[in-house]
Amino acid sequence: MRGVAFAQRRRRGPQRRPWLDWMVLPGLLAVGVVIAYPVVRTFQLSTTEYNALSGLDPRPVGTDNFEKLAQDPIFWEALGNTAIYTFGSVAVAALIGVVLALVTEDMVGRSRFLKTLLLTPWAVPFVVVAFLFRYMFDERTGIVNAVLTNMGVIDQGVPWLVSATWALPTVVAANVWTQTPFFFLVFSAALAAIPNDVIEAARVDKTRGWTMARRIKLPYLRNAALVASLLMVISNFNDFAKIWAMTEGGPGYASTTFVVWVYRLAFTSFDLGYSSAIGVVWLLLLMTFAIAYARLLRRGT
Amino acid sequence: MTVTPVTAPPQGLNTSAPARRRRRGKIGRTIAIAVALFFALAPLYWMVSTSLKPGIEATRRDPTMLPNDVTAENYQKLFSENLPFGSFAVNSIVTALAAAVISVLLSALGGYALSRGTFRLREPISYLVLIAQMLPLVVLLGPLYLLLLNAELVNTLPGLVVGYISFAVPFGMWLMKGFFDAVPREVEEAARVDGYPRWQILFRVVLPLTVPGLFTTGTFVFIESWNNLIYPLTLINTIDKQTLPAGLILSFTGQFKTDWGGMMAASVVTTLPLLVAFFAIQRSMVRGLTAGAVAGE
Repeated sequence: MRGVAFAQRRRRGPQRRPWLDWMVLPGLLAVGVVIAYPVVRTFQLSTTEYNALSGLDPRPVGTDNFEKLAQDPIFWEALGNTAIYTFGSVAVAALIGVVLALVTEDMVGRSRFLKTLLLTPWAVPFVVVAFLFRYMFDERTGIVNAVLTNMGVIDQGVPWLVSATWALPTVVAANVWTQTPFFFLVFSAALAAIPNDVIEAARVDKTRGWTMARRIKLPYLRNAALVASLLMVISNFNDFAKIWAMTEGGPGYASTTFVVWVYRLAFTSFDLGYSSAIGVVWLLLLMTFAIAYARLLRRGT
Repeated sequence: MTVTPVTAPPQGLNTSAPARRRRRGKIGRTIAIAVALFFALAPLYWMVSTSLKPGIEATRRDPTMLPNDVTAENYQKLFSENLPFGSFAVNSIVTALAAAVISVLLSALGGYALSRGTFRLREPISYLVLIAQMLPLVVLLGPLYLLLLNAELVNTLPGLVVGYISFAVPFGMWLMKGFFDAVPREVEEAARVDGYPRWQILFRVVLPLTVPGLFTTGTFVFIESWNNLIYPLTLINTIDKQTLPAGLILSFTGQFKTDWGGMMAASVVTTLPLLVAFFAIQRSMVRGLTAGAVAGE
């Protein structure tokens, strides 16, 4: 029976092209080796005690790692830092991005190159962003402290990146600097896509300036805002380079997000069992966003 | 643009209330743009300016806006034997290019199959690929390290490229699927009716139409690899095989932690290739990333 069905399906002729389907295999194979296998192994290691340097094999410990995690104060600190870094950066960058897109909307002709100039921070490599902010926010020689002291805002230098209070906000500031251009670009594209007759109709109704922006244009940016924010939320969730290059998660754990914490555990203490358990919890958190994102895309297309 | 006559006050008196309000709006806008430009560009000006200052001037408490003595010593130092900047750069270029080429090949094949394939798992696999690109690299890192250790690829450039593949291929496949989806099926149908064999349709008709997509995918992977820090930091353990980000971070520590002139010179040179790459793809990049999200499309 099955043979007959198969033969029939094959005979449907030019519609079905198996070789075309097989083209997906090389890519899938790569994804399987470098992603699927490590993910499965992470789940497996999360139920074991395993120090990579000990030379001993992983020892099954059940849910011990997860129980330890729930009581670990660093877990809650890292969770808070991750939330601030992820959503704080996106909120500020998106807000600045939408304002910039609105004020530059009418720029045409020669002044358009100013729009391109506004995109430059996006092109700066992360390690360079880190070096730049380390220098500008240096307690002794940084320009930020020099300017603030001259303006009389502060009496003496603030130890930005080495202070438990300021380290995380400073890292967020650096991240906002690199991400604002992305939001600016997406919002500009979305503004340009608003149908002309909508704007015309509003103009005829004497809608101008701020009211026009709020009542007519902003609703059209909703979809772009959602997708762009989700993309950047996921990118911030997983960001390692900027934080590590600026503070290494310090002082103490003051700017330690999940990524930095897992990295510290896995590659400075070599505690692969515990770090895998954190990875599992975090994967589940991230999947929530991923599913929301997939839904959004499906609805958009 | 055609509506300007409608909005202009008919009597042309600039003292009317709406005109005054509009002028105030214009001034507000100009200020907003000027402030934004300042914040976007001032750090970069500072980077270039500091890279041209001698060491002592860069660490002054009252910074000089322009270098008092312009010097190239920071750039010369980059290529001294203390700092293997040249080999960092070569390693970065080689691994980023290799990752870009490999992932463009795999993504073009896979993306086309995901866009036009007839297999039953096409949709689930598409979503798995989408989710795979969101996975945090650091979670994969432990097992990936053990895997590369077994394959004796730790501390080799090919091993590093394998690492880059883990973010490059899922993203590339998803991006290329989007670009293939945008090619109208009628184009292929027409070529088929004309009697072209299927593989010729792919190479002669479809691929040329997606050249911007291939270019965007390759450039994106190049940029992400160039930026990546976590893989070289863990998978490479000798300084001569290090890439720019990890190499620079490992070099500017200890007594060199405040060698701001040197750091800024290294930063300038590291930024230039990326700047070129970014401006080459920024528009098609946003189109690919936010496909379907922009209203009215």
